[in-house]
Amino acid sequence: MKIEIKNLKHKYPSGGEALRGINTAFEGSDPIAIIGQNGAGKTTFAKHLNGLLRPTEGQILIDGESIHEHTTAYWSKYIGYVFQNPDNQLFLETVRKEFEFGPKQLGVPRHEINDRIDFVSELVGLKHRLSTHPFDLNATEKKFCTIGSILMMDPKVIILDEPTCGQDVEGNQRLTEIITYLKNNDRLCITITHDMKFVVRNFDQIVVMAKGQILMSGSKNLVFSDTKTLLESYVTPPPITRVGQALGLKDISFSKEEFIDHFTRRLHQR
Amino acid sequence: METIDNSIAVLVRNINPITKLLIVFCLGIGCLIYPLPFVGYGILCLLVILGILIGQGKQVLKLIAGFGIPVTLMLLFIQGLYSPKNITMIADFGFAQMGLEGTMYALKISSTLLIFLAAFYLMLQTTKNSETVAALTQSGLNTKIGYLILASLNVVPQMQRKVKVIQEAQESRGVEISGSFIQRAKAFLPLIGPVVLSSLTDAQERGMTLEIRGFGINGDKPTSYIKVETTSLDIVLRIIAICFLISSLIPRLL
Repeated sequence: MKIEIKNLKHKYPSGGEALRGINTAFEGSDPIAIIGQNGAGKTTFAKHLNGLLRPTEGQILIDGESIHEHTTAYWSKYIGYVFQNPDNQLFLETVRKEFEFGPKQLGVPRHEINDRIDFVSELVGLKHRLSTHPFDLNATEKKFCTIGSILMMDPKVIILDEPTCGQDVEGNQRLTEIITYLKNNDRLCITITHDMKFVVRNFDQIVVMAKGQILMSGSKNLVFSDTKTLLESYVTPPPITRVGQALGLKDISFSKEEFIDHFTRRLHQR
Repeated sequence: METIDNSIAVLVRNINPITKLLIVFCLGIGCLIYPLPFVGYGILCLLVILGILIGQGKQVLKLIAGFGIPVTLMLLFIQGLYSPKNITMIADFGFAQMGLEGTMYALKISSTLLIFLAAFYLMLQTTKNSETVAALTQSGLNTKIGYLILASLNVVPQMQRKVKVIQEAQESRGVEISGSFIQRAKAFLPLIGPVVLSSLTDAQERGMTLEIRGFGINGDKPTSYIKVETTSLDIVLRIIAICFLISSLIPRLL
C-alpha cells in the first residue's frame, strides 16, 4: 500500500492555515513516527490520510487512487485511525461490542470476527475485560481498547495518535509488541507522538513537522544528528542522546548500552 | 457566532444584551398588542434589512421561509377558513369560505411569531451567551441561576460537537454517514445514547471543577471577567423600545 501526498494544504473554516504544503510518500511496513510540537499540524495531517479531513489544496493518492473518490467509511477498510482521545472513539456498551463494530461494518464473517477477537484481545491485553463497559476501563485500558477496535478491522495502514499518553511502563511495552506485530505482518504503522524515548525505541523512520510543514524526514540517526533543525521544531532528543551529543561523541546513542559502547570506544582511542 | 466585521455588525455586537432582550420583548409583545398585522410585517422587513446589513441576511431569510411560510399557511388555513369569529367573507373556495377576521388573526399571530424568531436569532448571532448571562447577573440575577442559564444555552452546541466527534469515529470504523436518509438515520440513532450519557457525566465533572474553585461560596459577591457596559446608545434604544410598546397600546385604549 502506497500513500502519496502532493502539496497538501489545509485551511480551517476559521481561517487558520494548519498545513502549508506537504509533500511525502509512505510505503512498506517500516513503522514511521511523526514528531513535532503541539500545533505543528500532526493530527490534522493524519486525519487527511483516511479522508476525515479533506484537503483545501493538493492531493492524496492511495495506491494511485485519489482520496476524494471515496468516503472515509470506504477508506477505513485500508487505513485505520486511532483517535488521540479514547473518549471520542468509544461509544458502545462493552469492549467486545467495540471490537466487533468495525469488522461487522465491513461485513467480516462471524467466525472470523471471533477469531480476531481472541487474537486482538490477547495482543492489547483486554482478554479478561471483554464484557466490561469501556467507560469503566482505566485510561491505559481505554487506549488499548481503541487500538484493539481498529486492529480488529485489520487495515493495511494504522495511524496511532499519541498512543503513549498516560501509559505506564507495561503499556509502553505492549505498544512495542503491537508495533512489532504490525511490522512483521506487513502492516504500516504511522505514529504521532511526543515521547522521544518511545520514538527511538520503536521507530527508525521519523518525520519532523513544524508549523504545518515537514521540516525533515529520514532515519532516526539522521534526524537526531541534525540538532539545528530539531531546535527549530522544538523537539528535544532523548536524554541519553543529548548526553552523548554534549560529550561530542562521534556516534549517536539511543540507549544506555549504545552510549556505554560509544563512550568506552572513545576512551580507548585517547 | 460568526465574526463579520462591518461597522454595523460591530455596533450591534456591542449593544448591551439586556437592551437586546428588551428590544426583542418589546417588538414581539408590541406587535401582538397592536390590532392590525401590518405593523408586524413592517418590523419584520426592518429586521431582515438589519440582518442583511450585519451579514446574516441569508440565514434570516432562510429562517423566515423555512418556518414562517409553512406556519403562516397553516394558520391561514385553520383560522381563515374555520375561525368562529369570521363574519365578513372575502373568498369562497367551495368547501369553505375565507373570513376576514380569522385571516387577520392568523396573519397577526404569524407576524408575531416571526418577529420573535428573527429578533431572537439576530440577538443570538450577535451576542455571546456568556455576555448575556454576565449582563443579567450584573443587573441582579443570582450567579447560580445565571450559570444554570449559561449551562443550558451551551448544552446544544456542546452536544453538536460531541456528535460530530463520534461521527468521525464511526466513519473511521466503516460507517457511511453520508448517503440516503435511512442510511444517515441508521448511523445517527446509536449515537444518541452515548451523547446524552457523556453530556451528563460532563455536567457532573464541570460541577465538581466549579465547586473546587469556590463556586459555592456564599456571601461574597463574585466579580466577572466579562465586562458589559451600558452606553448612551443603549439608553436611547431602550427608550425607543419602550415607547414602541406603549404606542402599540394606544389604539387599544382609544
